[in-house]
Amino acid sequence: MIEVKNVHKSFGKNEILKGVDLKVEKGDVVVILGPSGSGKTTLLRCINFLEKADQGELLFKGESYHFQHASKKDILNIRKKTAFVFQNYNLFSNKTALENVTEGLIIARKVSKDKAVEIAKECLNKVGLADKYDSYPSQLSGGQQQRVGIARAIAVNPDVILFDEPTSALDPELIGEVLSVMKLLAKEGTTMIVVTHEMSFAEDVASKVVFMDGGVVVEEGTPKEIFCNPKMDRTKQFLRRIIRNYDYSI
Amino acid sequence: MSFNFEFFYQTFFTAFRGLPVTLKLTAFSLLISLPLGFLFAVIRLKERSKVKNLVSVYISFVRGTPIVVQILVIYSLIPSIMASIFKGLDIKMNVFDINPMLYAYIVFSLNTVALLSEVFRSALATVEKGQLEAAQAAGLTTFQGYRRIVIPQAMVAALPNICTVTTNLIKSTSLAFLMTVKDITAVAKVEAAYGYNYIEAYIVIWIIYIIICSLVEILFKLVEKRMKVYKRALVS
Repeated sequence: MIEVKNVHKSFGKNEILKGVDLKVEKGDVVVILGPSGSGKTTLLRCINFLEKADQGELLFKGESYHFQHASKKDILNIRKKTAFVFQNYNLFSNKTALENVTEGLIIARKVSKDKAVEIAKECLNKVGLADKYDSYPSQLSGGQQQRVGIARAIAVNPDVILFDEPTSALDPELIGEVLSVMKLLAKEGTTMIVVTHEMSFAEDVASKVVFMDGGVVVEEGTPKEIFCNPKMDRTKQFLRRIIRNYDYSI
Repeated sequence: MSFNFEFFYQTFFTAFRGLPVTLKLTAFSLLISLPLGFLFAVIRLKERSKVKNLVSVYISFVRGTPIVVQILVIYSLIPSIMASIFKGLDIKMNVFDINPMLYAYIVFSLNTVALLSEVFRSALATVEKGQLEAAQAAGLTTFQGYRRIVIPQAMVAALPNICTVTTNLIKSTSLAFLMTVKDITAVAKVEAAYGYNYIEAYIVIWIIYIIICSLVEILFKLVEKRMKVYKRALVS
């Protein structure tokens, strides 16, 4: 359903993505792993044009787009069919939790206000924030804010949700509540591309794990293939370090 | 020296006749400057063209010269230039008949645009980049993102400074008498000139400006309080 081919992106002289390919089918949960600076986040941001890739092709729902030539209209259309969950939540600080969720519905998708509020409440209930409709982001904890961020993403019924390290800015105590919401979504068949360092999430939920390093995809496969039987030395080295540092019991 | 209380009392009310002029100068300059200042701020933040340099030069020019000098230059320069242009084009119009208010509007607007564009520029910079990105990711256009998310937040940061600019503007309009505009200051000075009651007149002006500026400040505080509802600290 989504495929990116040969994505290149440089910031100045620093080449971050050096020709990345990625294929995502409907209902897939693709987890992208890799050390910092490997280009995971940049790849994700390129998919919905928050970053403009220098070169590459995007196939999305049967349509083909070139990253460097996509028109404003194309970009807007792609963004309306995708949703993004940010590392530092990026909730609209001048809007309540409910308004954060309705904003994309009412303004971008022309849903009527009543209908939007109904959808927003449903989504906030789903992420366990039924009592926080009228709270402003400044009144919510990090975990609650990120759950509003997820509610904002699912409310627009996107074809794919892009998660950019959704738990990296959270206290260890609050990570669980966000991950369990994400697991719920995965169970329901939501298509997700997730950049994360949560190995337990990748092992449990991913249908495909992609390991990136130095701007290229080093290895990809099922969680079992990657975690139990990695083929590339770089992957082995990375996993050894990560798994020694973090020991999550499930 | 004796303080003439009767004169003081009378002048206090006479000077208020200049109030509409002061308020008109302030309101008109603000009306022009708020949108233009915002536009200039956006140009300075976004553009990388010659327009940006032009705007920067204009702002440094305004900030680097005393307003009194700006008034004197514009009030004497523009009529002379226009006179020679009209003469060259053979247009029969006496430039010295032009209402001096016009020059006052020009000077104060030029000044306020420059100051406000700096206020807006710093205010826009206080809003995290992620706010606009989140709006775009939600499917809003860049314009909608600015209008609904970025600008309302920037305004909260800008309000205290807009208040300062406004009160400064009100105070600066007292220099309009240099252009023979009859604002509060001019009216009081004329009254004082009859019997050399300058001290009384100056104290009257002083009090009137304090009253106006305090009212403006209170007004801004109320608006600010309303606008930053969302910044309430953690309650629950």
